[in-house]
Parts: sequence; C-alpha cells; structure tokens
Amino acid sequence: MSWEKELIDKANEIIELYPEKRSALGPLLYLAQEKDGYISNDSIIQISNLVGITEVQVKSVASFYSMYKEEQTGKYLLSVCKSISCEINDSRSVIDSVKNFTGLENYETDNDKVFTFEEVECIGACGGAPAVQVNYETVEGLTPEKSLQMCEWLKEERPELVVADELQEKFGGVKSFDWAIKDNTGSSYSVPGFQNIGTAKEKNL
Amino acid sequence: MKETLLLTKHMREYPEDSHLIETYEKNNGYRALKKVLKEDNPEDVINEIKNSNIRGRGGAGFPTGVKWGFLAENEDRYLVINGDESEPGTFKDRILLERDPHQLIEGVIITCFASNIKKAFIYIRGEYAKPARRVQDAVKQAYEKGYLGNNILGTNFSLDVVVHLGAGAYICGEETALLNSLEGKRGEPRLKPPYFPAVMGLYNKPTLVNNVETISSVPWIVQNSGKEYSKLGVEGSTGTRIFSLSGHVNNPGNFEIEMGKSFGEFIDTFGNGIKNNKSVKAYIPGGASAPWFTGDQLDIKMTIDDVANAGSMLGSGAVVVMDEDTNLVYAAKSIVSFFAHESCGQCTPCREGTTWLEMILERIASGRGRLSDISLLIDICDNISPGLDWPPKMTTICPLGPSAVSPITSLLNNFSDEITNMIPTKIPITQ
Amino acid sequence: MTDQIKINVNGSEISSKPDQLIIEACEDSGIHIPRFCWHKRMDPVGMCRMCLVEIETPRGKALVPSCTTKVSEDLVVETESEVVKKAQEGVLEFLLINHPLDCPVCDKAGECPLQDQTMAYGPGESRFVEDKRHFEKPIPISEIILLDRERCILCARCTRFSDEISGDPLIEFIQRGNKTQVNTFPDEPFRSYFSGNTVQICPVGALTSTSYRFKARPWDLKKVSSTSNCSSVGCSIELNVSQNKMLRILGEDNEFTNQGWLSDKGRYNFEYLHSEKRIEEPLIVKNSSKKPNINEAMDLISNEILKGGDPNISFIVGHNSTNEEYFALNNFAENLKKVENTFGNIDIYLSDDYLYSGFFNGDHSLAEIKDLDSADTIVLWAQDIKDNLPTLYLRIKQAVRNGKKLLIFGHTNTAIKDIAEEYFGGDIVTNNFEFNVNISDIPNFSRHIDGKEVIAIVGKASPLQNTNPISELIQYLEANSNLKILNCFSKGNTFGALQNLNLVKGLNEFVNEFDISKRNIVFTIGANPVNNSIYSLKIKDSLVNADFVVSMDLFKNETTELSDIILPTTSLGEKEGTFTNLEMRTLMQNKILPPPGSSLNEWEYLLTLSKKINLEQVYDSETQLNALLCKDYLDEDNIPSFDNLNKPSNLNGVLNSKTININIENVDSTNLEILFVHRLYGDSSTQINSPSISMLSSERFIEMNSATYFGSYMLYSDVVTLIQGEISVQVNVNINDNLPDNLLVVPINRRGFQNINPEKKVELEVAKSREQLNVS
Ligand SMILES: Cc1cc2nc3c(=O)[nH]c(=O)nc-3n(C[C@H](O)[C@H](O)[C@H](O)COP(=O)(O)O)c2cc1C
Ligand code: SF4
Ligand code: FES
Repeated sequence: MSWEKELIDKANEIIELYPEKRSALGPLLYLAQEKDGYISNDSIIQISNLVGITEVQVKSVASFYSMYKEEQTGKYLLSVCKSISCEINDSRSVIDSVKNFTGLENYETDNDKVFTFEEVECIGACGGAPAVQVNYETVEGLTPEKSLQMCEWLKEERPELVVADELQEKFGGVKSFDWAIKDNTGSSYSVPGFQNIGTAKEKNL
Repeated sequence: MKETLLLTKHMREYPEDSHLIETYEKNNGYRALKKVLKEDNPEDVINEIKNSNIRGRGGAGFPTGVKWGFLAENEDRYLVINGDESEPGTFKDRILLERDPHQLIEGVIITCFASNIKKAFIYIRGEYAKPARRVQDAVKQAYEKGYLGNNILGTNFSLDVVVHLGAGAYICGEETALLNSLEGKRGEPRLKPPYFPAVMGLYNKPTLVNNVETISSVPWIVQNSGKEYSKLGVEGSTGTRIFSLSGHVNNPGNFEIEMGKSFGEFIDTFGNGIKNNKSVKAYIPGGASAPWFTGDQLDIKMTIDDVANAGSMLGSGAVVVMDEDTNLVYAAKSIVSFFAHESCGQCTPCREGTTWLEMILERIASGRGRLSDISLLIDICDNISPGLDWPPKMTTICPLGPSAVSPITSLLNNFSDEITNMIPTKIPITQ
Repeated sequence: MTDQIKINVNGSEISSKPDQLIIEACEDSGIHIPRFCWHKRMDPVGMCRMCLVEIETPRGKALVPSCTTKVSEDLVVETESEVVKKAQEGVLEFLLINHPLDCPVCDKAGECPLQDQTMAYGPGESRFVEDKRHFEKPIPISEIILLDRERCILCARCTRFSDEISGDPLIEFIQRGNKTQVNTFPDEPFRSYFSGNTVQICPVGALTSTSYRFKARPWDLKKVSSTSNCSSVGCSIELNVSQNKMLRILGEDNEFTNQGWLSDKGRYNFEYLHSEKRIEEPLIVKNSSKKPNINEAMDLISNEILKGGDPNISFIVGHNSTNEEYFALNNFAENLKKVENTFGNIDIYLSDDYLYSGFFNGDHSLAEIKDLDSADTIVLWAQDIKDNLPTLYLRIKQAVRNGKKLLIFGHTNTAIKDIAEEYFGGDIVTNNFEFNVNISDIPNFSRHIDGKEVIAIVGKASPLQNTNPISELIQYLEANSNLKILNCFSKGNTFGALQNLNLVKGLNEFVNEFDISKRNIVFTIGANPVNNSIYSLKIKDSLVNADFVVSMDLFKNETTELSDIILPTTSLGEKEGTFTNLEMRTLMQNKILPPPGSSLNEWEYLLTLSKKINLEQVYDSETQLNALLCKDYLDEDNIPSFDNLNKPSNLNGVLNSKTININIENVDSTNLEILFVHRLYGDSSTQINSPSISMLSSERFIEMNSATYFGSYMLYSDVVTLIQGEISVQVNVNINDNLPDNLLVVPINRRGFQNINPEKKVELEVAKSREQLNVS
C-alpha cells in the first residue's frame, strides 16, 4: 500500500462525513494530489480500495475534473484566466509574459518542478481582470509586468505557502471587490488550501 | 440610482471582519434563525419564501418557494447549496461566501428547518479556495456556538453541514451534474425526467438545490417578511440582486440593486462609465450563456422578463461590457472555447458541435476562414439548438451545448461584418 | 391502470404499454427509430441523440429523445418530420466528423449501425476540414478484446454493460468533453467473464475480439439459430459460418433465458471445431495406432460385446449430447438388457460430480428463470453461479437490481455476496455445509421468507456435500413460503440427460459399482471422467482394469488414452437435436456444418452397433428419434418436436417435463478442508483447443481468506506449493475474505489438481521459485 497510515486515517475521517463512501472520492483525490503533486496510479489503487470502486472508476472521475492532474505539477501552479472578461482585458499579454518567463507551453511543467503553467477558464475574478491563480490563490488586476515580477519573486523566494493577500498586495491591481481584512491562509501545492482536506496552512505575514 | 443593501449590508458595515461569527451576531446575525426556531412553524417559513416571490439566483430563475413545495416526503432529504459559480463574468457568490458566510449558513439552517432536512452540503467550486476556507471556518464556529449539530439552540432540530469542494468543472453548476459530482461521480447532468432533484436527487433522495445568493436571502426574508421583500424590485423580479459588472468599465465590481433599472443606467452609475470614454459596442446581460445585446439596446430593463422578451436572459446576473474596440470574433471565440472546454461530453451535438464551432472560429481568427464557414457555423448551431430561437430549443440533455450558440448568433445577427472582414477573399476557397 | 394505451405516431394510431419508452412502443409497432446508445436491456442514457423525435406538448412541439421519454395517453409523436430528419442528420454528421474512414478494414463493416444509418439518414459530403481526433490504433484491453478509440462514438453501451449488467466496471469513460474516450486502468485489464458482450453490442467497430478479427465479412456469413452447451441455461445463440468454418457465436435475445448475453466461454468456445488436433477417423489406441474404417471399427466393438463372458457394460456419458442422442443411448442400453443370458449389468452414468436427487416430481413446483423477476426473495444454495451458470448469474443480478432480495447459503457464491441481502456463511452453515443453527432461528431469514414468493436455486455446492441440509431447507421453505424451485445442475444438457435416461447415476456410482472381478466393457461418450472429477483417480483405475474401453470423442484426452478404440463424433453446429435447460425448456440445436472426416453422431454409432449385434432398431434418423422421445412428455400439446420448435412462435423453446429418476447415494461430508469447485475456464479439450481462450485457464490458483492465509498457514507469498504425498503443485493464492476460516478453495477443472485426494490433508509451502506457475 502506498499511503502512510496517517493519510489513510485522514481519508477515513473524510469518508465519515458522507452518507456514502463514494462521495469522499473528490476530497481523497485532493489528498492524493497533495501527496504527489498529481494523481498517481498508486493513489488511484489506494483510493479505489478505500471507497470500494474499481481503479478505472476512480480514474474516470479524476480525469473528468481539470484540477486533478495527470502529471506531476511544479511547486507553483500558475493558472492564467482566458475567459471573456479577462480576454477582453488583454489576458493574452499576461499569458505571453508568463510563458516567456517560464518558457512553458500550456499544461507544461519545468524540469526543476518549480512552475506548471496553464491557461484556464473563468476563475470568478472577472471584476479584477486579467486575473491569475497561483496554487488556486487568486491575484487580480495583473499586468504583463506585474505578472513577470510575480514569477520572478516566486522563483527566488520559493515561499512554502502561497497566500492570496500577500500576492495581491505585491503584484495585484484592480480587484473584483474589496477583500477587506487581510487573510494569512493559503495553500502549499497544486491543491486548494482547504481545512476539510487538511491542505490549508497559515503564514505569518 | 442607488444600491439597495440586503445581502451586502453587513459586509459593507463591517468591512474588516464581516465573516466572523462575533461580528455577525453583533449585527443581528442568527436572529432570524432564533425567531424561526421559537415560532417552530416550518410551514410559515415556506409561506414567507413563497410570498417573497423570490426566484432562484443560480440562473434559471425558478421560483424558490415553489421549488421548496415540490420536495418529496422521505426520511432522508438533503439541501445542497450550489456554490459552483463558474459562468464567465460571474463573481457574486464569491463575495457572499468570502465576506458573509454566516448569512449563508443561517439561510441553510432556516431552509433545512423549514423542509425538515438533517443534512446539507455546501458545494463550492475548487478554485474558490479562499471562499471555501471562510465558509469552512464559519461552519466550525457555528457548530461551536450550537447553531449546527445536534439539538440546535436547545431545540429538537439537528443539522449537519458539510462543505464540499468541486474540482474544476463548470458543468457541475448544473444541479444534477452537481449531485453526481457530490456522489463522487463524473459531473454529468442527469436525465430529467426522472432525475428532478426535488424528487430524485442526492443518492436518489429528495433534494433541494439552491444557489448561494438565493439561500443567503432567506434570513432577510424571514426577518422582514416575504411581503416586505416582494415590495422591492418589480413584479416577477422581486427583491435585490447582486450584479457582477466586468469588462471595459472604469469601476467593475458587485452591486446589489433592486431589479428594474436599465442596463445603461447601471453601467453608467456603478461602472462609472466605459474605460477611456469609449462607447459600448455590445454587452452580455447575464453571463456567458446569454445572447448579447448591442450598444443600442442599453435601455433594456434589468428584470428577468424584460431581458427574456428582448431575446436573452438575466441568467447569473453577470454583465460584461465590450467597448467599441473589442474584436467580437475573438470575444465569441473565447466564449465558444469555454463551452467546448466545459462540455461534459455526453451528448453528441454538444461534445462534437461545440468543438467544431471552436475550430472554425479559430481558423477564421487566424486568417484561414472560408466564406462557406458562415453558413456552416449557422447550420452547426442549428443542429445544437434547432431554429436558433430564444429560449433555445435543444438537441442536448442540458443547456450547456446551446449556450455555445449564443455568442455566434449574437455575432452573426448584429456584427456579421466583423467576421466576414476576417475571411480572406483572395485566397482560393479550396484547400 | 389500463393494459394498453393509444398514441399517435406519424398520423396513425398505435397502441402501447403504459410506461413504455417511445422508442420501444414504436419498435413494437414496426416503426424503427434510429439509435446508437439505447439498448433495450440497459438503462437509457440519452447520450447519442440519434433517436430524437418531435412530440406535441402544451407549449408546442418539442424535440425529445425517444429513448428517455415515456409514452402517455394520446401522445402525438412525429418520427419523420423535417425537424426530426434535420436533427438526425446533424447528429450523424457530428458523429462522423471524428470517425475514421476505415470501413474497408473494419470488422463491423456490413453490419455497422453507423454505416447503415449514414446511408439511410446521413449527410453527403463532409463539411469537416479540420483534423480528426487521433488515438493509438487498436490497443488490447484484455487477452481477448481490442479497443480502437478512434472508432468509438461514446454510446456508453460497453461501460453500462460492465457496470449495470455484469457488475465488473473495468471499462469506463476517461477525460471529458471532446477528449472523452473509453479505456481500462493501466494495470487492470478488462478481465470479465462477460467481456464479449460488449463487442456484440458496440454499434461500431471500436471493440473487437481477437477471435473474429479480420476473419470475415458479414455478407459472406451463413447464419443459424441454436442453443449453447456452455451451461444448463441453454442460451440462445446464432452460429455464424463461412466456407464451412464456424467464425463466430452471437447471443440471441431470448426473453426467457439469456436475454442476448453470453459468457465469454459460451461465445468463444467453438474454435476447437476446426482444430488440427481433432480426431476425424476411428483410432485403435492400445497396442497399435491402426486407423480402421468405420465398418472395421464397428466389427471390432461388436465382436468384443458378443465375445461372451457375461460382460458388464457401462456407459459414461457427458453433457453435450442432444436429447435425441441420450434417447438413443437409453434405447441401446434397454435393448441390450433385453438380450437374454448374454450380459451382466448394463448401466448408464452421467459424467458429473454434482448429481443428487434434486427436487423434481410430485409436490415440488418448479420455477422458470423469468420468475426471478417477479419473486420477492431468491434463496441460493448451489455451486458458484457466476462460474457455472454465468448467464443465470446475470439474471439474478438483474433481479436484485430490481429490488428482489437475495439470500445466500454456504461459501461458494462469494462473487455475488456484495449484492446479497443476507449471506449465511460460516456462522450459519459450516465448512462442511451443515446447518449450525435451526433454520427457523437464522437471523433475518424468516422475514424474507414467511408468506413471500420465493425462488430457491438449489444444488450441490461442492461434489462432496451431503445434501440433507438442502432438503431440510426446501422443506422449511415449502412450509413457510410460496416456493418455486430451480434445480441447479449446471452442465450443458444435463436436463436432457435426466429426461431421456431411464435411470441416472453419477461418477460416484460408477466407481462404487465397478466390479473388477467381472469382464467389463466401458463406453465413454463425450466424457472425460479421468480429468476434472474428484473421482478421477478411481475412474482411471477402473478403466485400466476394464477389458475393453470404447470412447466417442472429439479429441484425444486423459480418458481416451486408456481406450481401446476412439470413435470421432460431432459437436455443436455439426448435429441437429434438442436441448433441455434447467427450467425444462427445450430448445433447438441446429446443424450448419458438415461433420469433419468420418465423424458420426453418437446415435449413428449406436444404430450401427445395434445392427451388428442384432438389436431391435426403431429409428433411422434424428427426426425419428425426436418423434420417439416426444411421446413421453407430460404436456402433449406442447411437445418439443423439431417441427414445433422451428415454428417462429417457439424460437424461445417450449416448456415441458418428463418423469425424472435419479438414483444417487448421498455422500458423507467429510471434514472438509478443501472445497472443490468448478471454474468457468478449465482445461477441457474444447477450451484448450480454442486458441482465443485457451490461455484463460492457464493460471493456477487457490483461494482462502486472509485469516487463513496469514494465520493458519502463515504464508507470506502469493505463490505457494500445494503438497499432498507425492503430489506437489505450484499455485497462486488469491485472497477472498468472503470465505470462512480454514477453507481452501481448489478449482478441480484446472490442470494439476486432478490427483489431489479430497479426503486427505494438504500442506502449503512458500514456493521456491515462481516458475511453472502457468500451465500451457
Ligand atoms: C450549464 C449550467 C450551469 C449552471 N451553473 C450554475 C452555477 O454555477 N451556480 C448556480 O447556482 N446555478 C447554476 N446553474 C443553475 C442550476 O442548475 C440550478 O438551477 C440552480 O442551482 C438552482 O438554484 P436557484 O433556484 O437557487 O437558482 C447552472 C445551470 C446550467 C444549465
Ligand atoms: S449539453 Fe453538453 S454539458 Fe450538457 S449534458 Fe450534453 S454534453 Fe454534457
Ligand atoms: S438512442 Fe436515444 S439518445 Fe441515443
């Protein structure tokens, strides 16, 4: 078995939340992804045992959703929005600038596993277009220059934890709405930081 | 024109910490719940909702009270909150989740009390990590304070709430796809009939599915009565709505207003005009699925029925403004790509059709269009949405496929020059 | 509710069952609506959208899929309007934009719904100028199935079949939207007993079988309906032949039996017909390898029979004879008995380890398979249904899916445990198949039984089971419920044998009755009792000691090695006759192939012998035999004559019964540590000579639960050596936690286990090497 006992305990805790085991499949896939940076076949086998469905059924579900990755992601997953509000606010140039800096095409990861780049559909930050997410932490009102700086900063600082408010303050611009009080929680890999699945962390800002 | 703050009042008043339970309680939070529990008459709650005439804020605009009335009897029933908000242009649920989670939770508890539901799920799209954290924290606080769990506030009523994260699939906003997703399956819409959620929903049990904004309105309605609510807005579109304004405006954002004002006024007042003093070429009145209106149609009223009569929909309440310089072929392509990317793939016309449309637009945009492409685009659209009418007829299971048709018909009906101009006439048509 | 309602289709009124889908109602009235995803035996998914029709609604005409929309009184349907035609053409065009144009090399060409419908409804030239979707061309997804994802139109038939019907969801949709494809998990091939059905129901050539690949074009095929010998369900099949070679077997949808489905064994176990190893001429084995002609061979045998010395003559007959052949054999034996002062005992034995008296005549009421759909409760005490009656297994699964409660006794039906309401294993029924408690005290039992409609599927779970507890159970059920019984003998035409042999005995009786002090002549007819039986060792002894052994068979095997002479016989498709299934339904087996070489039918040999030894002859053909055997049926109006069975209205067979006499001693359940079972795939000569499936029985394994594995045996290797005296066999261990403690499950029909003595202890040791695990 590929999972440590601790992780299996966590998984069982999550399964407990639902009337039927299979409902926990989504959260368990996030656990798998936090462990490896993608959904490995080993994890699929593990999960199929935990929720009582076949491996290919797990695979079928995992591959349906774009946030479950089939290949290992870098430490920072850069998701640049290209949907309509961002598109008409020149997200192209942000995309180009990120691509230039990282040298990556869509869905690629660099050899050092620092960045994974992807063009994504609407991330609900249309008022702050063009917008980007780093490990699902939203940064709004970017410009090509700011996005470049952000990538540089990430590459140099290598923060353990990505926090939306920190990035926004450093590199962001116009926002969809007032974010209000500063939030120091964030995520540390290509999974959303979320308490229920134990992927949310706090940072001293 | 002014905002009318019902749902966004608390967060405006307490900009620093509106998401905390202490602040919420200080500001009359959970009072509606206490009132409901004290009166102990679930029927009354449903009647207040019916009287309010509130229609769902998820897009379809179905009367909420009527929906609650459909919920079939069963030992196990569920409430599922649709927080999948993924329609391009829309970010109004995000603010409710992030800035006022307790308002939603209070709404959830009241709704469950009214319908005798003991388990609720709040399904939030995976990309909304921060909003989901806020809701999860709030749920935890609500448990600690006895608003959730066993014997809520000392009554016989018990309720569990689970916050569930999606994982990147717009189609999971469609309620039956959402239920499949919550069951750990592929987010494919179910066949209706037989899978009407109120009869056969989560785990095939009767299930209420409501949008975040809809349920966030419940505490206010219960506190102030359905009748008061129904006085706001206009008939058929009562109450306030949070509109998400984006695109080429000076001041994008979420604005809560009573329905009934014109789009032009709304864009001017809250958007603070168009960037660089340009004019509006076209705008989307209700999210990417909605057919566009032109700059000449700014006086259409922001009500469900007015927009529908003018051939589009108020949908998710997302207004996207495109100025005179916008390349509408690119804009249409962006939206078509979105739907092609998000098609679940069940239905042949949606799976194959949306991708084909995308490929043709891509070709045209890159200067390799053919004149015959125009009629081809129309015919493909017609095969997805026969007759190209509004509201759309469908050859598909759910409305996602036909949604890809909206931008193309909008483009071809009103701005056909833009597309024909991109087609090189000198290049021989044969390949 | 009324029985029929009226709907209006294309301007004419048709009647329909209420609650039916439009597509079905139309189909029943001869109006064909094109479709790809809909399949009458599976839940509709409404995915392909080919079946769109227009209906009238209060809000005007609407396009709806006829496969998901139910009829209602006075519904007005248009299946051919302009709007419908346009929609259908649109769907076809969408399906074709990514479909490769490789019909010339596609197995499905000529019988491809996509191809046909493109002709009938389709658009002309393609308007699609972009690149088609590309996938790696056929990839094997199991030993016998290939998948070509480029051809797939995503109808979900294969995925639904494996999920809903066979219950082994090993093939699924991967990715979404335009990238959607079916596939298996990398390390988990599509190893299902039922995988071949997906090839048959795939509406295009995306799923193909290694067996049929590139073999033929449908227009070259000769086809005939028949009945499968694979199990006693008697599945309806279609034999496809080209140039006198059987190329394919398809399932036919017989409402009463297989509903179109087949196990892979039933589907692919036919290639042996054309094997080079097949015997085509009579052979003298002992002391010479002379090839006599038929006449010489018959002379030889009749001389042996008439040599004097009061010989005992025994016949051991298998399960693949037709009713007519069993009748002829019975007639032959009876006629021998009539000859005075020449012979000793004359007996017929069925080559079967599972025989016992069963529940037939008198007060028992017998069930039909379709009764499973209307019962409240299904009680199962029998050998492993999935392995031995695979299509009945599917019917049980379907019944449970429709809400019937399944109660399982014993340890053999572990595969179906998950869907059982109650599983009465170790606590209730001991490893020796005895009750641990009073039946009336079984927890959660009576509430599913008392006053309910109950179907009991009962038979010996294992060859060594004492059957008294089954009788007790039946007694209890008959007293407390409305019971119908499905007697569960699983092999081929067992019921035809039971009906047409005056007295049936089994291999245990043969061994016990074999009198070494006498002169013995033994006939084995389509039987190989020296293999695959728990009595094999003893039978081998007997045959070695017999004075003369005649075998009628298709192949040389463990038994024919001990024969004096082998006579080549015929098999499925090479002979005409009837077959009786476990509900006593008699179905037709038709002939479409010539017998190879000098092979004759069993009855023809017996007839010739009769002539040579001057016995009475009352028949000269299959038809006459059929007419004779029809005389004994209890219901005269419903006799299974060839004429009657070939009427279109009787293609599903006729139900009829005969008096059945079985004379079987109850065996003593010893202290069993080994549970002998028969698996679907084994080392029968037919399977090992069918190249497409021969490898499916090559893996040798035993099963036990993990407590036994770690506890009693302390094994820490999945490869072990099973040792009993001189014998040692290397095997894989499969953990099955549905088994009780301290029970080893051993598949007796796999090579290497024959010589194990069931009454002696075995030992297990961790294997030293992993070699020799697979028997070729
Ligand atoms: C393609 C599609 C996407 C949808 N996305 C959302 C969504 O993101 N959020 C939402 O609340 N409703 C969405 N809906 C509407 C839901 O199906 C459903 O009508 C709604 O959640 C009901 O809640 P309401 O009655 O409160 O509006 C979508 C519908 C379709 C067809
Ligand atoms: S229309 Fe598209 S998204 Fe909707 S069910 Fe069909 S394929 Fe899926
Ligand atoms: S047959 Fe009805 S949608 Fe496929």
